[in-house]
Amino acid sequence: MSGTARTAGHGEDPARAPGTGGGGRGARGASVASPLIAVTGLGLWIAGCPSAAAWVAGTRDPEVIRPRGLALDRVNRRRASLVGRALADVAAQAMEAARADPATIATVIGSSLGEAATMIGLLEQMWRTRTPMSPAAFTMSVHNAASGLISISNGNRGFTTSLAADDDTPAAALLEAAGLVAATGRPVLVACADEAAPVDLVPDDQRFDLLAAAVVLAPGALDAGEVLGASDTRGARAATDVREPVAAAAGACRAQLRLLLGREPDVAVADLPPALARNPQAGLLDLVAAVLRGASGLVRLDRGGGAGWCAEIRTR
Amino acid sequence: MTAAAVRPLPITGHASVHALGGTRAEILAALAAGRTGLAPHDGLFPVQTVTGAVRTELPQLPAPLAPWSTRVSRMAALLVQQLDAPLARARARWRSERIAVLLGTSTAGAETTERAYRTYVERGALPAEFDFRRQHTYGAVLHVVSSLAGVRGPAWMVSTACTSSAKPFASAQRLIAAGVIDAAIVGGIDTLCSMTLLGFQSLGALDRNACRPFGAGRAGINLGEGGALALLERDGEAPVLLAGVGESSDAYHISAPHPEGRGALDAMAAALAQAGCRAQDVDHINAHGTGTRLNDVAEAVAIGALFGGDVPVVSTKGFTGHTLGAAGAIEVAFAAHAIEEGWIPASLGAAPLDPQVTIRVPTAVTRAPFRRVLSNSFAFGGNNVSVLLRAP
Repeated sequence: MSGTARTAGHGEDPARAPGTGGGGRGARGASVASPLIAVTGLGLWIAGCPSAAAWVAGTRDPEVIRPRGLALDRVNRRRASLVGRALADVAAQAMEAARADPATIATVIGSSLGEAATMIGLLEQMWRTRTPMSPAAFTMSVHNAASGLISISNGNRGFTTSLAADDDTPAAALLEAAGLVAATGRPVLVACADEAAPVDLVPDDQRFDLLAAAVVLAPGALDAGEVLGASDTRGARAATDVREPVAAAAGACRAQLRLLLGREPDVAVADLPPALARNPQAGLLDLVAAVLRGASGLVRLDRGGGAGWCAEIRTR
Repeated sequence: MTAAAVRPLPITGHASVHALGGTRAEILAALAAGRTGLAPHDGLFPVQTVTGAVRTELPQLPAPLAPWSTRVSRMAALLVQQLDAPLARARARWRSERIAVLLGTSTAGAETTERAYRTYVERGALPAEFDFRRQHTYGAVLHVVSSLAGVRGPAWMVSTACTSSAKPFASAQRLIAAGVIDAAIVGGIDTLCSMTLLGFQSLGALDRNACRPFGAGRAGINLGEGGALALLERDGEAPVLLAGVGESSDAYHISAPHPEGRGALDAMAAALAQAGCRAQDVDHINAHGTGTRLNDVAEAVAIGALFGGDVPVVSTKGFTGHTLGAAGAIEVAFAAHAIEEGWIPASLGAAPLDPQVTIRVPTAVTRAPFRRVLSNSFAFGGNNVSVLLRAP
């Protein structure tokens, strides 16, 4: 029924600015590079896999079907959509791992489509059932619904934002957080999620499953001598050099990270089921898995539809 | 947050379009005359209210961008056209990869999607020309702006409801300070949608008549549409500087403000701290001032607590309506006008003033040198942003 809808990445159009390959760039081949930041906490939710550790270990639980949103208070949990509950779950995991204070940490929420399912519900009320719009559903249809619910549940009166950039959403959220870390010298939570793409609006081969991932970024670095930038990284390899999972102490720096735009984006990406690989947050899943596995190198933050942002990581 | 004083950034160009017009001359003339852009709503649903529709003719997108053509993208294209000269100068100074596009919206392409969905329900198929990715998503407008502006830097769309287009000023400030970029196109755009009209109607938040921010008889908001873009650069000469941005959360309720404006006060105080100035240094506040009973009182309480009762506070929503995700940037542009022009408009609809509002709300044009001006934006989710501008 949605066969008449056409979808394509913005990168496919002839009017797009020239590709990011080629010369004329700054140090280490990148046009744009973020400050160095530490990764101190990770979180993940996928159906069948409620944590980053379970994902990396390859364990699956068929009873994990829906995110529970347990980090939200009861009232706000009832209000939250699936994507909102998933964001709350991964945010709580990452903050716990980082020993971050939920009442004060700055929070960046990323979602390519936001509360798309809630929007579809409103469109159905408008055009199919012709019923009065639900004020509760309307209130929860804003992109920053999850950002607000998490802030309220945690009593956090500090910074929160909610942003989108299609397939570059993970990179955008991480870069916004990197700017915050640099400006404040304090930890920042990044939680990203996209739920199943709206089936009525996109073709079958563009749909994806719910995926949520989170990281806590903070000032800090690995031990001296392991700092990125100490050597030319033009030859940096993809982060597929897998070692044993890092047994880092909670709150400790698990990895050092820098975001790069303008590197040749020919970085190998891990195999994922198509319904996860199409999720705009797949790159953040790759980053979380790479950090947890103790890999070092480049992680591509989109899967072909974005500008070519990479995260350069180094783990212990 | 980010309370430590930061170096002010020049705003080397800004452009707006909304119910008052699409040129600086049109907008200033309407503001000076106290002439509202609000008019009875004429839309797909019979909602009894007035709205601030954009009546300016919008440009067609160039052929390669035609698949992205929506009302919101064409509005964006108009704003990029108006920034052509400062953008050309910026591209000559900075590498295009280091000029970011950091925008805000609450609706993105929802106006197009809701029409497409009507066709889908009535005919069983979406319109052939509808393209979800190129017309609905947040990234679609980013692509159009980046392409037309000839820039290739980081790009994202903040969507925090009514603070959406104020927050990018802070994002750009941080990325410039961190050395990630040298310049940024910041601001935002929103279009009138049936979904938002029906939604605010369901909340009982729409005034059937022109809104009356801070007025005794106020009965709610009017929706509007439009956008504003500004060009921030690492350095350079400009008539207005971005001095500070404060961001906070109420952590109180998803759609109601904290009754004492606690989060609003935090945001305003943070903007002052970042700018390194005192409350008494601020010459004018462009209020969020939506016209709802709760919001206006909460904001007035917060302003009174921090600034006292002398600073002139104006809501411009009586001119434009509440442009939701675009309101932050549009009102930063009004704040810039105050500094550039040396006058502020009347706060339309404020007379007679609500006795609970004990701040100074001018109901006529006020002329004075305005050197430091604050613009407030508050949103669903308890999201608060205050942007402080100053003269060089």
